[in-house]
Amino acid sequence: MQQFVNRRKIIFHIIVLLSLLLLAACATITRWYHKTSEIRINDDFIIVKATAKDTLSSLAAEYLNDPSKGWLIAEFNHIKSLTSGQELCIPLFPFNKGGLKSGGFQTVPVLAYYSFSKNKPSKISITQDDFKAQMKYLKENGYHVITLDQLLSFFDYQEQVPEKSVAITFDDGWISVYDIAFPILKKYGFPATIFIYTDFIGGGKAMSWKQIKELSEAGFDIQCQTKTHRNLTVLREKESFREYFKSLEMEISYPKKVIKKKLNKECEYLAYPYGKTNNLVIAMLKKHGYRAAFTVDKKSNPFFIDKYKINRSAIYGEYDIEKFKKKLSVFQHMELK
Amino acid sequence: MKRLFTIYLLLMVLFFFTGCAGVREFFGDITEKILNKNPEKAPEVTKALPSFSYLEKALEYEKNDELQTALFYMQIAGTLNPDSTKIPEKIASLKSFIDHKARQHFAKGVEFCEKERFKDARRQFLTTLRYSPNHKEALTYLKNRLYSKEYLNYKVKEKDTLKDISKKFYKDPSKNFLIAYFNNLKTGNEPVSGTILELPVLESKFNQPPIDIRIELIKAENLLEEKRCREALDIAEKILEYDHLNKKASDLKNSAYYQIGLELSGQEKYPEAIKMFKKVTPEYQGVKEAIQQVINKELIKAKNLLKEKQYEQVLAVAGKILDYDKSNKAAEDLINTTFCQQGKDLIIRKNYTQALNVLNRANPQYDCVKKTISDVYKAKKKQAEVHYLNGVKHFLNEELQSAIKEWEKTLALNPEHKKAKKNINNARSLLEKLKKVK
Repeated sequence: MQQFVNRRKIIFHIIVLLSLLLLAACATITRWYHKTSEIRINDDFIIVKATAKDTLSSLAAEYLNDPSKGWLIAEFNHIKSLTSGQELCIPLFPFNKGGLKSGGFQTVPVLAYYSFSKNKPSKISITQDDFKAQMKYLKENGYHVITLDQLLSFFDYQEQVPEKSVAITFDDGWISVYDIAFPILKKYGFPATIFIYTDFIGGGKAMSWKQIKELSEAGFDIQCQTKTHRNLTVLREKESFREYFKSLEMEISYPKKVIKKKLNKECEYLAYPYGKTNNLVIAMLKKHGYRAAFTVDKKSNPFFIDKYKINRSAIYGEYDIEKFKKKLSVFQHMELK
Repeated sequence: MKRLFTIYLLLMVLFFFTGCAGVREFFGDITEKILNKNPEKAPEVTKALPSFSYLEKALEYEKNDELQTALFYMQIAGTLNPDSTKIPEKIASLKSFIDHKARQHFAKGVEFCEKERFKDARRQFLTTLRYSPNHKEALTYLKNRLYSKEYLNYKVKEKDTLKDISKKFYKDPSKNFLIAYFNNLKTGNEPVSGTILELPVLESKFNQPPIDIRIELIKAENLLEEKRCREALDIAEKILEYDHLNKKASDLKNSAYYQIGLELSGQEKYPEAIKMFKKVTPEYQGVKEAIQQVINKELIKAKNLLKEKQYEQVLAVAGKILDYDKSNKAAEDLINTTFCQQGKDLIIRKNYTQALNVLNRANPQYDCVKKTISDVYKAKKKQAEVHYLNGVKHFLNEELQSAIKEWEKTLALNPEHKKAKKNINNARSLLEKLKKVK
C-alpha cells in the first residue's frame, strides 16, 4: 500500500515536472520565435517569415521605417493580410513607380468638394450623410487617401503610391468644410487639401483665419486658389492685356504671401478658379514657384500627367454613391506589350 | 529516495535536451543574423530555404510578360540557391531580353513621335518604362516632349529690341513687357545678342487685335472723306500694328499723310508739310511732285529772306530742304550765296575776321566764296595801308602816341607790314628819349 502511495507521489512529481517542462518549452519557443527570421537579398529585398504578432504595418515600420507603407508589402506579395508563418518578400524600393502593368497603368483620382450642408443638397453642397457614406465607402473598400505631396512624388516618378489611391481636395474655404467635413475626415484619418481664395476668407459663409489655422495644425494642407477667384483665362470687359497681366500676377502671388504670413507655410499648389487655365497662367505659376496646379477636368491622373493641368473630379450634391464610385478610377486599360 | 533522485536526474536530462531544441532555435536565429551581416556567407545559412518556389514564381511572371517582377523573383531564387549555375544564366538571359524589349519599344516611340502620332508614341514609351523602369529617355519623352510647351525659345539677333521681338512673335510691339517679365530683364534694358529668351505662347485670342479691323477700316475711310485726316491716320496705324500687311490700312495711312501734307502746305507750313509727305510711300501717286512743289516754295521763301539779308533764316530754310533732299543743288547754291553775301556785308563793315569765319563755313569750291575770301584779304591790306598813312600823318605832327596806335592797327590787319613795325619801334624809342629829357 505504502509502495502504491509512493508510486502515486512519483507519478505526481513526474506530471508536475513534465507540465513545468512543457510550459517552459512553450514559453521559450514563443519568446524565441517571436523575432522573425530574415534574409536580405542584395539591397533590394528582405525575405521574412511572419510571426503571429507581425502585421503589415509592423513589418513596414521595421523594414521600411514607415508603418504606413504596409500596402507596399501587401501589393508586392499580392496579399491583403498576414498569417503567422507566412513567408514574405519585402521590397526595399518602389518596385513599380508608375503603376505600370502589361494591361495598362495606374491612375489616381483627385476629388474636388466645395461646401456641405446638414441635409439640403445643392449642386455644390453635399449633405453630411452623403459625405459620411462616401468616406465610409473609401475606407471599407481599401482606398488609400494620399496627400498632394505623395501625389506629386508619384507624378515626379519618384515614389510609388498604393494601387487604390485617391486624393481629397476642397475649394474656396467654406465654413461647412470646418463644421461638417473636418470631423468626418478626422474620424477616418484621411488627409485633405483646402484651396482657399484669400478674399473669401473671413466672410459670411467662409472660414476664418483662426479656423484655417486650426485645420492646418490638425494636418490639413492649406493651398491657394487665387485672391479673388477671377477666371484666369478671360479678359474682363474693357480690360487691356496689360491690365489683365497685372491682375494675373496679383491673383497668383498675393495668396502665396498671405498664407505664408498667416500660417507660416509655403504654398506650392494652386486650384484654378472654374478649373480654367492657359499658357500664360502656367508660365506665371512656374515663375512664382508653384509645383503643380489643378483643373476640374473629370479624369483620373496617370503619373505622366502635365503637373499644371492635374485633373479633378468635382463631387456634386446630387451624386448618389454609385455616381461617386464612378469617379474613383484607379486604372487605365491599355495594352503595354 | 534514491529512485526518486534517479527519476529527477532522468527528467533533468530530458529537460536539458528539450531545452536544447529551443536553445538551438535561439542560437540558430542569432547565427543567421550574424551571418546575414556578412552577405557573402548568408547563402550558406539559407541553403535549406525553398528557392525553387521563387523560381517557379519567376517563371510564371515571365510567362505573363511581367518581366521586371520575374527578374526580382529570379534574383531572390539566385540568392537563396547560390550553388545553382542555371539561375545566373537565366537572370542574364532575362536581363538581355528586357533590354532588347525596352530598346525596341523606345525606338518605335521615337518614330511615332516624329510622325506626330503622340498617342501611339505615349503607349510605346510607357511600354518601354514597364520593361525598363529606369529608362531616362523614355521618361523624358513622356513627361516633357509629348506636351505642348507654354514657352518657345528665341535666340536674340544683333540689333534686336524687345519691341522687335514682340512684334515678330506676338504681332504686337507693346507686349515687350511680357518678354522682359519672363526673362528677368529690367525695363529699358535690351537683350544681348545670342541670348536665348523664353517667350510664353499666348492663346490666339490674346494675339488678336482688340478691334474689329473691318469696321475700323470703314471708319477710317469715312473720316478721310470728311477730311478728318489725323483721326483716320490713328485708326490706320492701329490696324497696322496688329496686321502690318493690311493693304487697305496701308493705303489709308498714305492718303492721310498726303492730305495732311497738302493741308500744311496750304498753310505755308512747308517743313511740316514735307515731314508728312516723307511719311508717304515714295510710290504713292503725286507725292514726289508735292514734295518738289513745297521745296520750290521754300526756296522762293529763302531767296526773299536773302534779299532782306535775313541770313540765318535763309540758312535754316535751305538746311531743312537739304535734310529732306540731300542732293538739292538749288538749296546748296543758296546756302553758299548766302555766306558770300554775308561775307561781303562784313567787309563793308570792315569786320574782316567775322567775314572769314562766315566764309569758312561755305563750300570753298564755289567761285563766289573764293572771290569773297580774296576780297577780304585785299580789303584788309588796303585798310592796313590807310592806318599806316594815318600813322605817318600823326608822326609828322609829332603826335607819337596816336601814330603808334594807327601802326598797331596796321599790324593787326597785316602783321607782315615792315614799315609799320619799324616806325613803331622808332616812335617808341623817341618817346623814351623825350621822357628822359623831361
